[in-house]
Amino acid sequence: MGRSWGTLAEFDAFVADGGIVEPIDDMPDEYRQAVFRFIELHANSELMGGLTERDWIPRAPGLRRKMAVLAKTQDEIGHAHLLYMVAGDLGMKTRTEMLEDLFAGRGRFHNVFHYQAVTWADQVAIAYLVDAGALISQQAVFKQCSYGPYRRILRRIIAEEGFHMRHGEEMLLTFAEGTTTQRRMFAEALDRWWWPTLHMFGPPSKPDDVLARWRIKSERNEDLRDKFVQKYATLLDSYGFTPPDPELRRDPDTGRWVTGEIDWEPLKATLSNLGPDSARRVADAATHWADSRWVREALESVAAGVAA
Amino acid sequence: MTTGTVPTASDVVDVLVGVDDPEYPGVSIVDLGLVEAVRAGEDGHVEVDLIPTFLGCPALEFIATDVRRALQHAGFLQPVVRFVDRPVWTTSRITAAGRRQLASEFTVAVRVGRSAPPCPHCGTIALAETSLFGSMRCRSISECQACGERVEIVR
Repeated sequence: MGRSWGTLAEFDAFVADGGIVEPIDDMPDEYRQAVFRFIELHANSELMGGLTERDWIPRAPGLRRKMAVLAKTQDEIGHAHLLYMVAGDLGMKTRTEMLEDLFAGRGRFHNVFHYQAVTWADQVAIAYLVDAGALISQQAVFKQCSYGPYRRILRRIIAEEGFHMRHGEEMLLTFAEGTTTQRRMFAEALDRWWWPTLHMFGPPSKPDDVLARWRIKSERNEDLRDKFVQKYATLLDSYGFTPPDPELRRDPDTGRWVTGEIDWEPLKATLSNLGPDSARRVADAATHWADSRWVREALESVAAGVAA
Repeated sequence: MTTGTVPTASDVVDVLVGVDDPEYPGVSIVDLGLVEAVRAGEDGHVEVDLIPTFLGCPALEFIATDVRRALQHAGFLQPVVRFVDRPVWTTSRITAAGRRQLASEFTVAVRVGRSAPPCPHCGTIALAETSLFGSMRCRSISECQACGERVEIVR
């Protein structure tokens, strides 16, 4: 039997006390909606990320990298698959509705998938920086998240993302220790991916944020971003790579990295699906959906035949 | 391993127990049944035979590296670590402890043979398969008819 709460204040207290909400519970509509939106965004992002990754399967240099890209594609599509189920279980939209919204350009997905990966070095930058940033955010959500099914799935997603990061680190080392051309390729990719990665954590959190109120995502965007900057500015510096931020410096007193002013306009554009590569990405995903329609219809007709 | 004594196979296994699967942090490769054979020679030479869960598993190289590093760290200077293609890995090689950890830490069930495993979330035997593939080739997705949990099953 699910639990219910007489007032919103009682629900707030339950969550504040470390309570975990399950799908059978009679949760407040605002909570249901906030959790749903968060998981839908995550699911869409995994799917769009998986499709991007997929584009590189034929182009990955060498068999080992090809295997890694294949496995990452399967992981990401698999994560999307599970997350759409968990989001669908909240009863706000069906899985098909979420997918159709996404392919019609009405859905949202993470800003980093609104840019084009130009060379293989971009894939390295994505694996090294974007995957690491995503992992920092997901670990923070996992630690505190009040919605049970999402938290349990995040446990597995994080384990697999950690594995992707090892690939990212290995690929980065290949470029860092590589030829002048390889180093230049990565430096150029870093110029393209540094700011989008910082944007990925989101604009500074507002004090009345519902995600924080109900422990859906408890840590502030700016704190997660800072955690990323402290670690990766140091690492990139040690490999002799410089992020495209002339004001990025180490504070001589605290020893901490300080970034220049962040321009939020590019992030805003991606939120309305108006980023540099948004239209092509959405159209490409929609084509996949249309092209695979016969498979869904075949499966449905078999299922209907079995039921009849 | 103490210096001066000849290492035994069981010394090697003690080290392997501390090596986690890269996709299940905290779960040992020994509990997952990846270790097929361990040999320790009188000259201090050690060999480890591992078997892959699935052919083409992208984690194989990382697992071999982790095993090699752990052995070197424990004082086995030039361990030979390799993947063998026989016997074929099956879920029955996962130990009871490994199964418990997969269920409690990862909400992942293990199917051995044809019988359906209990839901790792609520414990009821009511898992119905909804998808042949999860995020790995070695896992399918089920829904628990009792609690509604979306569960992945290692098969």
